[in-house]
Amino acid sequence: MKIKEEKKKRQSVRNSKSEEVEEEQPSITEQNKLKQKQLPSHSDSDSDSDPDYGSPYVSDSEDFSEDGDFDGSLSDSEAEGSGSSGDEGVVDSDVDDGLHNDQENQSNSSESHQGVEESDSSEDEVAPRNTVGDVPLEWYKDEEHIGYDLNGKKIKKRTRKDKVESFLESADDAKNWLKVYDEYNDEEVEVTKKELKLINRLLKGKAPHSDFDPYAPYVDWFKWDDAKHPLSNAPEPKRRFIPSKWESKKVVKLVRAIRMGLIKRDKPKEEQQFYHLWGDDSSSTEKANHLSFIPAPKSKLPGHEESYNPSLEYIPTQEEINSYQLMFEEDRPKFIPRRYTSLRSIPAYDNAVKDVFERCLDLYLCPRVRKKRINIDPESLKPKLPSRRDLKPYPVTCYLEYKGHTDAVVSISIEASGQWLASGSLDGTVRIWEVETGRCLRVWEFEEPVKFVAWNPLREIPIVAVSVGQEVFILNTGLGDEEEQKKIKELLHFETPVAPDDSGDKVSVASWHQDDKHEGIRLRHFKTVSSVEWHRKGDYFSIVMPAGESRAVLIHQLSKKHTQRIPFKLRGLPVSSLFHPTKKIFFISTKKNVRAYDLQKQKLIKKLETGLREVSSISVHPGGDNIIVGSREGKLCWFDMDLSSKPYRILKCHPKDITNVAFHRSYPLFASCSDDCTAYVFHGMVYSDLNQNPLIVPLEILRGHTSSNGRGVMDCKFHPRQPWLFTAGADSVIKLYCH
Amino acid sequence: MDIDGVNEEENSRRVQVRFVTKLKPPMTVPPLPIAIPSNLTRLGLSTLVNNLIQNGNPDWNTQPFDFLIDGELVRMSLDKFLLAKSISAEKILEIEYIKAVAPRKEEEPSLHDDWVSSVDGSDPRFIVTGCYDSLARVWKAAGECTHILEGHSDVIASVGVINRKGVEGITVATASKDCTLRLWKFDTEDSINDPIRIRAFKILRGHAKSVQCVAAQNTGDMVCSGSWDSMIKLWQTNDSQSDGDLVSIKKRKGNDQADESQLEGEAVSTLVGHTQCVSSVVWPQQETIYSASWDHSIRLWDAETGKNSSDIFCTKVLNCLDVGGESSALIAAGGSDPILRIWDPRKPGTSAPVFQFSSHTSWISACKWHDKSWFHLVSSSYDGKVMLWDLRTAWPLAVIESHKDKVLCADCSAFLLEFLCCECQSHLNYSDNLMWSSQHKVQYLH
Repeated sequence: MKIKEEKKKRQSVRNSKSEEVEEEQPSITEQNKLKQKQLPSHSDSDSDSDPDYGSPYVSDSEDFSEDGDFDGSLSDSEAEGSGSSGDEGVVDSDVDDGLHNDQENQSNSSESHQGVEESDSSEDEVAPRNTVGDVPLEWYKDEEHIGYDLNGKKIKKRTRKDKVESFLESADDAKNWLKVYDEYNDEEVEVTKKELKLINRLLKGKAPHSDFDPYAPYVDWFKWDDAKHPLSNAPEPKRRFIPSKWESKKVVKLVRAIRMGLIKRDKPKEEQQFYHLWGDDSSSTEKANHLSFIPAPKSKLPGHEESYNPSLEYIPTQEEINSYQLMFEEDRPKFIPRRYTSLRSIPAYDNAVKDVFERCLDLYLCPRVRKKRINIDPESLKPKLPSRRDLKPYPVTCYLEYKGHTDAVVSISIEASGQWLASGSLDGTVRIWEVETGRCLRVWEFEEPVKFVAWNPLREIPIVAVSVGQEVFILNTGLGDEEEQKKIKELLHFETPVAPDDSGDKVSVASWHQDDKHEGIRLRHFKTVSSVEWHRKGDYFSIVMPAGESRAVLIHQLSKKHTQRIPFKLRGLPVSSLFHPTKKIFFISTKKNVRAYDLQKQKLIKKLETGLREVSSISVHPGGDNIIVGSREGKLCWFDMDLSSKPYRILKCHPKDITNVAFHRSYPLFASCSDDCTAYVFHGMVYSDLNQNPLIVPLEILRGHTSSNGRGVMDCKFHPRQPWLFTAGADSVIKLYCH
Repeated sequence: MDIDGVNEEENSRRVQVRFVTKLKPPMTVPPLPIAIPSNLTRLGLSTLVNNLIQNGNPDWNTQPFDFLIDGELVRMSLDKFLLAKSISAEKILEIEYIKAVAPRKEEEPSLHDDWVSSVDGSDPRFIVTGCYDSLARVWKAAGECTHILEGHSDVIASVGVINRKGVEGITVATASKDCTLRLWKFDTEDSINDPIRIRAFKILRGHAKSVQCVAAQNTGDMVCSGSWDSMIKLWQTNDSQSDGDLVSIKKRKGNDQADESQLEGEAVSTLVGHTQCVSSVVWPQQETIYSASWDHSIRLWDAETGKNSSDIFCTKVLNCLDVGGESSALIAAGGSDPILRIWDPRKPGTSAPVFQFSSHTSWISACKWHDKSWFHLVSSSYDGKVMLWDLRTAWPLAVIESHKDKVLCADCSAFLLEFLCCECQSHLNYSDNLMWSSQHKVQYLH
């Protein structure tokens, strides 16, 4: 029973299918042929579109029970008249049942359906009128025809309407929007309603035919249960899950090759093979084989003006040719361009032999030694110095002058607070000036020219030591308040009128006297005293007598009125002496060297070799480790005591003798003054870091003094607290340079 | 010729201007816009305004005027000024004119025997000068010395008149390089031909170095002084012996002077903070003291507590200081360079000067604000010039070059509206030097 029912159902399905087919293919249904006949016709119609469908169908039908097939065909004819309405319902139920048996049939029907559709659409199209095929139409752009029809006749182009006309036409025509121009056939095609629907569906992204159901229930084509030989039931092989051995081997090989350098990935671009033909050979040959081969000099290549028929601009005018005659023979151009109408008319070259001879000379006499010329920018050789602007303040301009002396001012000294200035001159006077106003406060007169003045470094004791000839005077300036004056008077007074202090010595080296005329103390020495230097504590002072030989340098003590000789043997002619600003070290400079002695241990610590012809002056940096030495030959040496006994820097800036050098007490400045009437100001920074060398920067040349008797600036001293420089000139003026 | 004239006319562009003024009616002009050639300078403008006034008022005596455009004095031709200030010449330009301030006449110099170090003309009745011969002098008029204040043993560095309210007599303070200050009292009423020599009634001791400057409080109770020992000390000025801290010393002089009682005073308080010489002090208000020093700083002190309230740092040594100008707040100072600088301490966050005047060629020795004017100040320099400045222009209004050597001090007096200056001329030899000082009175109307 069941089988029967199934069969029935199957038949009904088939009916419905066939009906569908018939509906769409009325020509076939009308004929009402047998199913058997129908099938080949189907396959025929299919064959042009998809020939593969035919064979499975056939094979499948063989699989099926043949009777069933026939049944279907019979029932088909029976059910013909019963109408399609009932059939459709059957189909629905059939599909719901999900019977696999029907699949094949259904597919068949759908296949046939498709085939019919295709043929249908192709039937819709009018056969192409033009037979040119798929060639670019622009080939016919300039032709009168657009192609050929089936008979091989030319299809003429329609007469072109001009734009305005066509526009007007299109505006008038209500159906214009439906028209499409077919370029291929050169005609306008009106889109039918059906086509329009189709286009609309396509635009919406739907299937073109309304009756196509894109969401049809899934149908499994393959019949798994009945298949005797399954297509494949094998499990996935293991090799699909493990990495390939051969691949990895290949990779290893490549990696190795890359590592070995056999495969180069970033190949450098090949350099161009051509070279500069007219370039200088020498460089290339030198590069090539490193031989010091010097090629012969090349003769000059001919230019345009040496052409037999040069352009007019190369031809000199007669005036120019005449002017050549006035030139020196060497400057005269060797060749005067001329024009010839043809090569034939060129005369023989007069200088041919001469030129060859000169060329030979060139070759013969060309230098055979390569000159190594290093191309260095001289600017780059200069040391990098900080800008002067960053090193401010330093003295720049002269604002104040201290006038009053009548002869060269030899020595100046500034009081420790910077309020007063003492100056000694060759006119035999010592003057005290007010720094601020330039007012001369006091004058002492002596019989002999004053050699040196030195202000006591203590602010409380404004006294001045002055060396005049063989004598040294300690003068009370009378400045300061009453208490200080009292103290000074006590200090400068002593009971024993003449005190030969050097009891051990037979000859008195120096004798102390009360000097009533100048209200001070007079020390008489046996030789001319050239300089006086105070110890920082203001009690001791040293004097230098260049002619004093073994007793050339003495140290006096003011409070005890005591004189002592230095316990060192002097070598050479002493020039000046200095106390170390902080330590118990005493510097004596002779004409060639500077020696540092330890006063406590009484021994030589260091000998600085200046290498100068004659030392003129010396100054110690307030830190005590750096010394500058000025020389008569205009050189200034900077010694770093920690570094070496040789100068750290030698500055050769003055063309004439350096008369004095000075360090500033607090600012990193030092100055030198010279007989060339200038004073130089330098920045001299000493770093507390021992690894860093002192920085020396020349800052300013101070001019303004005039030369007198061949002497220029005789002394320079810094203001103790301001970046100001005082210079004493041989023109009897003291100048103050301010920042 | 005609064509040339036309061209010239075309070349000089014309500007529409209107003259306005705050001056009183005889000096006003109708406020109608007029077109004037743009190449006019101050002189041209001045004659123009004078002519305009003369039109309305025939018996008008011409006098110079100065012109302000946007609060700045016109010191070049009008078109250049407009170009420099990028003012449109299309609009009607408002030019305010004021009376030109210029020194009128120089009076007879008051001769001294030595350099004059300081001058004070703040009292209308007299002028006090301090001199390098360690005497201070009181002058009633030019060359008319009424009092000589003697007693200092060294150069007088600074003088200051103490204005005490309700006290008839005049008190003067002097600071000297002998490390003391002295206070003097005298009356100006008695007129005698010969100058009276008077002695100080009080000696103020305490500075360890020479005293450089002195300034009195405006009430007159206190003076402050700056010294080379880098301290500022405040002193009482009263002469009552009842004060406990004052020591009265009877001094009998060896010479023929009569017995005199001289008080000795000690400092009330000391302001410590400067590291170098205090070169100038000003005490304009009850509570604030301004000081300038060689350590390149200007400090403001609270007089009550003695605390340093604020600093202004300059890069140069400062010699002189004055406070004045707009609401008495601007600080003018000059020093070891030819630039007169003016600071505004009210301006926050900057220590840059608001004005810099640099026409001098040497150190500036003194600067003084005009008491009544916000804009005018006087400076003197070692180049021998005294300059009158207006804040509204970068050029000096007037330059007085009658001195041959350094000008050490200058002052502009309050009520006489004059300014005085004194100077020195040094000779080569100190012993027989011929030193003189001159004193000029220059009237200017206001």
